[in-house]
Amino acid sequence: MNIIEIENLTYSYPAAKSPILKNISLQVEEGDFLAVVGNNGCGKSTFCKTLNGLIPHFITGDWEGTVRVGGLNTLESDVGALACKAGYVYQDFENQIVRPTVLDDASYACLNYAMPDYLERGREALALCGLEGREDDYIWPLSGGQTHLLALAGAVSLRPDILILDEPIAQLDPGHADKIYGVLRELNEKHGKTIIVIEHHTEYIADYCKHVMLMRDGSIAWKLPTAEALQRVDELRECNIFPPQVTIAAHRMRKEGRLPEAQPLPTTIAEGKEAFSSLCCRPAAPASPQRQTGEPAVRFQDVSLAYRSVKGEDRVVFDRLNLEVRRGEKIALIGSNGAGKSTLMKLMVGLLKPGRGEIFLNGENVRKRKTEDLSRQISLVYQNPEQMFIKDSIRADIAYAMQVRQVPDWEARTGALLARFRLTELQDRDGRLLSGGQMRRASLAIGIALNPGILLLDEPTANLDIATRREIMRTLTDMKGITETVMIATHDMQLVCEWAERIVVLCQGRVVADGRRDEIFGNRAVAETAGIRPPEIFSMGQALDPGALCYTVEEFLQSFQEA
Amino acid sequence: METKTKQKLSESILDKFSIDFLRSQVLKNAYGNDDTVIARLDPRILLMWYLFIGLVPWFVSNLWFLMACFLLVLVTTKLARVAGLVLLLFAVGVFSQTGYLFLVSLLFGGDTSTIIPLLILTLKVATCSLASITVFSGLDPDRLSNGLMWYGCPERLSFSISYAYRVLPMLMEEFQNILLSFRMRGNPPAHETFRGKVRYLFYQVQVVMHAFYPLMLNTAKRSRTTVEALEIKGYRYAAVNKTVKKMKLATLKVTYNDLLFTAVSVLWIALAILASTLF
Repeated sequence: MNIIEIENLTYSYPAAKSPILKNISLQVEEGDFLAVVGNNGCGKSTFCKTLNGLIPHFITGDWEGTVRVGGLNTLESDVGALACKAGYVYQDFENQIVRPTVLDDASYACLNYAMPDYLERGREALALCGLEGREDDYIWPLSGGQTHLLALAGAVSLRPDILILDEPIAQLDPGHADKIYGVLRELNEKHGKTIIVIEHHTEYIADYCKHVMLMRDGSIAWKLPTAEALQRVDELRECNIFPPQVTIAAHRMRKEGRLPEAQPLPTTIAEGKEAFSSLCCRPAAPASPQRQTGEPAVRFQDVSLAYRSVKGEDRVVFDRLNLEVRRGEKIALIGSNGAGKSTLMKLMVGLLKPGRGEIFLNGENVRKRKTEDLSRQISLVYQNPEQMFIKDSIRADIAYAMQVRQVPDWEARTGALLARFRLTELQDRDGRLLSGGQMRRASLAIGIALNPGILLLDEPTANLDIATRREIMRTLTDMKGITETVMIATHDMQLVCEWAERIVVLCQGRVVADGRRDEIFGNRAVAETAGIRPPEIFSMGQALDPGALCYTVEEFLQSFQEA
Repeated sequence: METKTKQKLSESILDKFSIDFLRSQVLKNAYGNDDTVIARLDPRILLMWYLFIGLVPWFVSNLWFLMACFLLVLVTTKLARVAGLVLLLFAVGVFSQTGYLFLVSLLFGGDTSTIIPLLILTLKVATCSLASITVFSGLDPDRLSNGLMWYGCPERLSFSISYAYRVLPMLMEEFQNILLSFRMRGNPPAHETFRGKVRYLFYQVQVVMHAFYPLMLNTAKRSRTTVEALEIKGYRYAAVNKTVKKMKLATLKVTYNDLLFTAVSVLWIALAILASTLF
């Protein structure tokens, strides 16, 4: 039975020149787990909002065609009736939480629709989403992953047959991402919910989804079973979707004639094990870059820090942390959400003062210096670029720090930075109105405006689609020459493997591992305790040969040869 | 040694007035003390109590009675475990209203004929303020708004109260981050000399004003989702639906503790009236 039936849907936003959805027809079967993929701005989110009636009831515009969801025609029903059919979880899910306590928020919609058993429904939804036992907690101490689960519970409580999630794992570490998808799978398999996700992470699509739908310029290119869909490597890459690394590797082997044409491409590690079974590993001579022995740029000495909490004990972030960053190092700081990565960076630039212990920046105690004086030596780029835009154009934003310090020829330097980050054409726009990638580039330009010796980047690739992510990764590699010492806090293991020379693993405020990538990813115990996961291609190599250490598709293709 | 403690003291005072501190105080005040005696009382009873304690002292000038009322609210404030910042604001507020007059008249040789009226006025102001603090910060915003709703306040008002508490920490966090951007990139005037300090103060006021524009834009961007989510969650339906109101109010219950609280208050006030007629 089809739970969603769309016929000839064309929609344009008010005052838009051309329609964003063009002549869409689609059937989704009950119990499907559908991934929607496509380029940025191709109408994925708009499409999903037509399913729960937000379009056209809340957001008006030009509408043609019919959409039936669970038997209801969305034009003839209201948002309330449709909310009980299709639940929606936003990409910026934390703004979806409107009540102060967990149970309150989960049952809020049910209360509003006057369901007498609203509390039970809330409890039931929390149990389904793995938040049992947190009912009476306040929402502030929840981690990012738990907040997402709560947003999901808020949608599940209405017992809809369909759940729609917009990029559910974009901001989460792999541990939390697995948890979310685990919950979704259970809702799908045990409770028969139809699930639709907008997703860029094709490894998750390969592992969890049943069908994939590709959107291109507001229309549906195709909808196919996952295994079949991911075979279309060239077509996906045209739309800036990157299939799982295993599939890309096999695709390239096939092109080189090393895999038979007829054999389907593997999409998961299990399938890869079979497809690549004839290959064996010839480890490349291990590159052993000299460990940096430069003088210390930043030194943490027995640093302790605690945050005040609303209730009860203060939350200890660091307890006697010791860490040394040497000049010229390119460091990746990794660890699960809440491990203290952002806090560590704020301590380094002097935005937070340690409770106990000392931090030395180029030999000077940070405590004794004012934050404003440190900014020529060290600079921090926030995770959320919006918070770096304090002027009304990005040109003014980039110039600001140089201008107020009367840096000689600051105007020429601003122009050069704009050109370097390809922002010259956008220079008069407000930073907030740019796209994700442009915003990120602008924030990087702001970060290096004063030419600091040390640059700290907090999650520079979070919330970006894969194509934009690649672009930022290229920019970061370009920047290696400009800034001497760089530290990046990230969950993005591909970035870590391709860019970092030293990796520091934080877990509950302690440094649990510190070294080159072979020392980190080659050590299973570390990966397990800290909840980090190597790139898929690395796990693929390990599955074939426990001694293999390849971090990129290229390295994999080189190390694994026919016997 | 001494300079070190001095430095520490000044550091901790500066530290206390960060936005972060304000944020935690707001949260603490709203939600941090839901396990106190006051927080567990029925909001309807407490609002009635407030109506009495907050209004009656204005019409009575008997010192004994006012003293008794003041003592009563002192005890309830203590029971409500009000956050330190609020109490500080209270103290500053009362002092700037009437307290300084009281002190001035003491210093410049005022006798009982000037002091007593001022004391009475101060007591009235203090009693009402403390009663307000007990009710509005002892109760968590949700219970308070339910109580108000029972007395017929519109649903929108009560939602606004609890939603304001929900967004306030978010707003402050956003504000803090923008201020941090200014701190990292700005170049404030040196403030070692007195003139420098004045200039620095001006600079800071300027920064706060400049931070307003990005703050509003960022918040507007974030609240787009919230508005849509409220629509999906049926907020508009609930506002006009009588059943929902009834369901919300069904959580209110008068317990043994409420009766005890009322009884003690009534007894205390009765004793005060008795005392005021006797002396």
